[in-house]
Amino acid sequence: MTEAGGPDEKPATVRVVIDGREIEAEPGAPLLQVALDHGIQIPHYCYHPKLSIDGSCRMCQVQIQGQKKLAIACNTPCTEGLVVDTRGDEVADARRGVMELLLVNHPLDCPICDQAGECHLQDYSFAHGSHHARTESPRRKGLKRHPIGPRVVFDQERCILCRRCVRFTQEITQTDELRVFGIGDTSHIGTLESRPLDNPYSVNVADICPVGALLSADFHHKRRVWFLDTTASVCAGCANGCNIEIGTWRNEIQRLTPRRNDAVNDTWMCDAGRLGYGFVGAADRIRAARVRIDGEQREVSLQNALDAAAEALRQVRATHGAGAIAIVGSAHLTNEECFRLAAVARDEVQTPHLDLAVPLGTSDAFLVKAEKAANARGARDMGLVPGEGGHDLAGIAAAVEAGEIRALWVVGSRDLEEVIGGERAAKVAAALEVLVVQDVQPSYLTAAATIVLPGATWAEKSGTFTNHAGRVQRIGGAVTPPEGVVVDGELFARLASALAGGAVAAFEPAQVFDQIAAGVATYAGLSHLVLGAGGRNAGAAANGEA
Amino acid sequence: MTLSQQLIERIRAEFPKYPEKRAVLLTALHFVQEEQGGWVPPELIPEIAALLEIHPIDVKEVASFYHMFHEHPVGRSHLQVCTNLSCALRGARGVVRRLEGVLGVRPGELSADGEFSVEEVQCLGSCGSAPVIQVNNEPYLENVALGDVETLVAGLRGRRLAAVGE
Ligand code: SF4
Ligand code: SF4
Ligand code: FES
Repeated sequence: MTEAGGPDEKPATVRVVIDGREIEAEPGAPLLQVALDHGIQIPHYCYHPKLSIDGSCRMCQVQIQGQKKLAIACNTPCTEGLVVDTRGDEVADARRGVMELLLVNHPLDCPICDQAGECHLQDYSFAHGSHHARTESPRRKGLKRHPIGPRVVFDQERCILCRRCVRFTQEITQTDELRVFGIGDTSHIGTLESRPLDNPYSVNVADICPVGALLSADFHHKRRVWFLDTTASVCAGCANGCNIEIGTWRNEIQRLTPRRNDAVNDTWMCDAGRLGYGFVGAADRIRAARVRIDGEQREVSLQNALDAAAEALRQVRATHGAGAIAIVGSAHLTNEECFRLAAVARDEVQTPHLDLAVPLGTSDAFLVKAEKAANARGARDMGLVPGEGGHDLAGIAAAVEAGEIRALWVVGSRDLEEVIGGERAAKVAAALEVLVVQDVQPSYLTAAATIVLPGATWAEKSGTFTNHAGRVQRIGGAVTPPEGVVVDGELFARLASALAGGAVAAFEPAQVFDQIAAGVATYAGLSHLVLGAGGRNAGAAANGEA
Repeated sequence: MTLSQQLIERIRAEFPKYPEKRAVLLTALHFVQEEQGGWVPPELIPEIAALLEIHPIDVKEVASFYHMFHEHPVGRSHLQVCTNLSCALRGARGVVRRLEGVLGVRPGELSADGEFSVEEVQCLGSCGSAPVIQVNNEPYLENVALGDVETLVAGLRGRRLAAVGE
C-alpha cells in the first residue's frame, strides 16, 4: 500500500462512462465487472470473477469511443475517461455472430439438459441470438453422459470451450486434470485416461460451466431447476462455514450449491460438503422418541419422552447430586441452540460437567477444515465448555467409568463415538444408569440409550453458526423436519420446563440471538438483521469493523 | 512400452539447444513418432513428460494440437490429403472420397492389413499445385486427379510387395 498522500499515489477511482452513465471504478478493474456491478448486463461466458481472464469467448464485445474495432470488456481495464457503449448495432451484430458460431455444433438438447433454466447459452440465445440456424451440415458428434470424474458428468457436444473448467483446475485446485485437446473444430475438453477429474473440489466445475457440458453426477437428471426452491444457508460439513444455497423440491433437498462470500469461500465449496446432505432425508433417520421400558425401547410421544428424561435426571440428582449428571453437546447445533443448552445445563440440570464432542478429519490449505462440524467455535462461545470444577469430555468418560457420573445426556452420539472411540463408548454406555441421546441418526449409543429424542438437521433450522475464524453466519430452514420432530433448541426449551416446571418458553432463534448479543461480549452489537446474508465477524461490531 | 535408451539419448542431446527442457517437446514428439512407426502411443506420454520435466497432460495437449502427431497407429503408407481452401476448390474432397472407396477406410481409420490410412490435413503450402497428397514424409504428389487414385494405391501396394520380397 502506498502511504496516504504520497506524490505517486494513484487516484482512488477513475471515471468511466458506460451507456451514458458515469461510473466511478477502481483503476484497472475489468470493465466487464464494473458494468455488471452497476447492473449493466454485458453477456459473457469465459469471464469469471475468481479466475484469470481468458478472453476466448468474444461474447463481451463492446464499443469503446476512439477505437475502430470492438473490444472485449473482460480484458479492458478501466482507465480515466473511458467511454463505452454496449447497445449499438455493431455490438448487437457481434453478439449475434458469436452466438451463431457457438450454436453451429450445439446439440440443442435443452429438453434433457440439467442446465436448462440456468444456462447462459440459452439465456443469451434468447437475448442476443437469431432464433434460427443457417447451417445445413450435420452437427459435430461428441461424448454424451461421459463420467469425466467420479462426481462429474461431461457432455462434450454442449461445450463451448470457454476454458473456465480448465482454469479452475489450474488456478484454484492446481490439480490440472482438464485441458483443451485438439485444434480448431477438433478442440475438446479432456483428461488423461489415467487421471480423471477427481479432486476434493471437482463439482465446482459444474457450477462454473456456463452451459450443460459439465454436470454434477449427484444432480444429474434429478429435477428441473425451475422447480427448485432455494434457501440461503451455510454448509454444515466443517468449520469453514462455506456459504451455500439449498435447493429443495417438495420438502426434499435436491442439491447444495455454493453461494458467493469473498470473506469465506469465494464462489466455491468442497465436494464432501456439497454431497453430504443425504442424512437429512435418510431412511434410517430417527423420527420418533423412544423410552426404554422393561429393558426394551418403545416408541412414545415426544412429551412423554421429555417427561421421562426429566424424571430420570431428577432422580439421579436426588440420589447422587447434580454432579452425577454430565452433558455432551454437539457442534452441529446452532449458536442459539447451544446458548439454550448451556442455560439448561447451568440453571435446570445444574451440572458443571459439560463439553462438546467435535469429530476431526482431514483438512487442506484451501477451504476444508479439520473440525467436521460447522459450529464448534460458536458452541464454545455459547458456553458449551466445562463449568467451574467440571469435567471435559475425556474427564466425563472417565468419571462415568469410575461410577461418579451416573447420567449422561448426549446430543449427537455418532460424534461422541467417533471422538472417544466405539469401544470406549460401549463401556460408557454400560456403566451409566441413565443415557439420554438426542440425535438424527441411529448409532450404537442410540440403541443403548434409556431415552432417545429425535433431533433436527441444520437444513431444518434457522439460526447462526460461527465458523473457525469467528464469522457469525445465518442458516435458513430449507425443509421442515419430519412430522413430530422439533428443532433441538425447542427440545432444550421443553426439557427445561419439564425439569423446572412452569410454562415452556418457545424457542425463537432471533430472540435467543438478541440474548446472545447481550450476554456474550464478542457478539455484542450483532443481530440476525445485522448479520444479513454474508455474516459478520464476532468481535467486529465492538471494534467497529465490518 | 518404454522409450528406447537410444531415443532418450537423442532427446537429451537436444536440451542444450534450448533455454528450457520443455521447449524440446515438439522435437521429442517427432523423434518418438519416427521410432514408433508413425504415431505417439499414449503409454509413452508419461515418460516423455518425465524426461522434459513437465506434466503428462502438457504432452497430450501438444500432441493432440498438431495434426502431424498421431495418437493412433497409422498405415505403412499414411496418405495425407490437404483439404484446405485451394485443394478443396480443386477437388480434394472427391480425392478423399475415392481413396475411401478404394481402400475401404475412412479418415482416421487403419486398413485391415495395416497398410493404409488416410488423413485430411491442413495446408501443405503447395496451393499452386492443388490438390496435394503427401505419403508419409515423402515428396508431395501434386495436381492429383480423381483418376490418379487407383494408380497411386496400386503403386504403393507394389512398392510394399517388392520391399517384403527383398
Ligand atoms: S466444459 Fe463447460 S466450462 Fe469447460 S470449456 Fe466447456 S463450456 Fe467451458
Ligand atoms: S470446506 Fe467445509 S464448509 Fe466448505 S463446503 Fe466443504 S465441508 Fe462445507
Ligand atoms: S467474457 Fe470476454 S471474451 Fe469471454
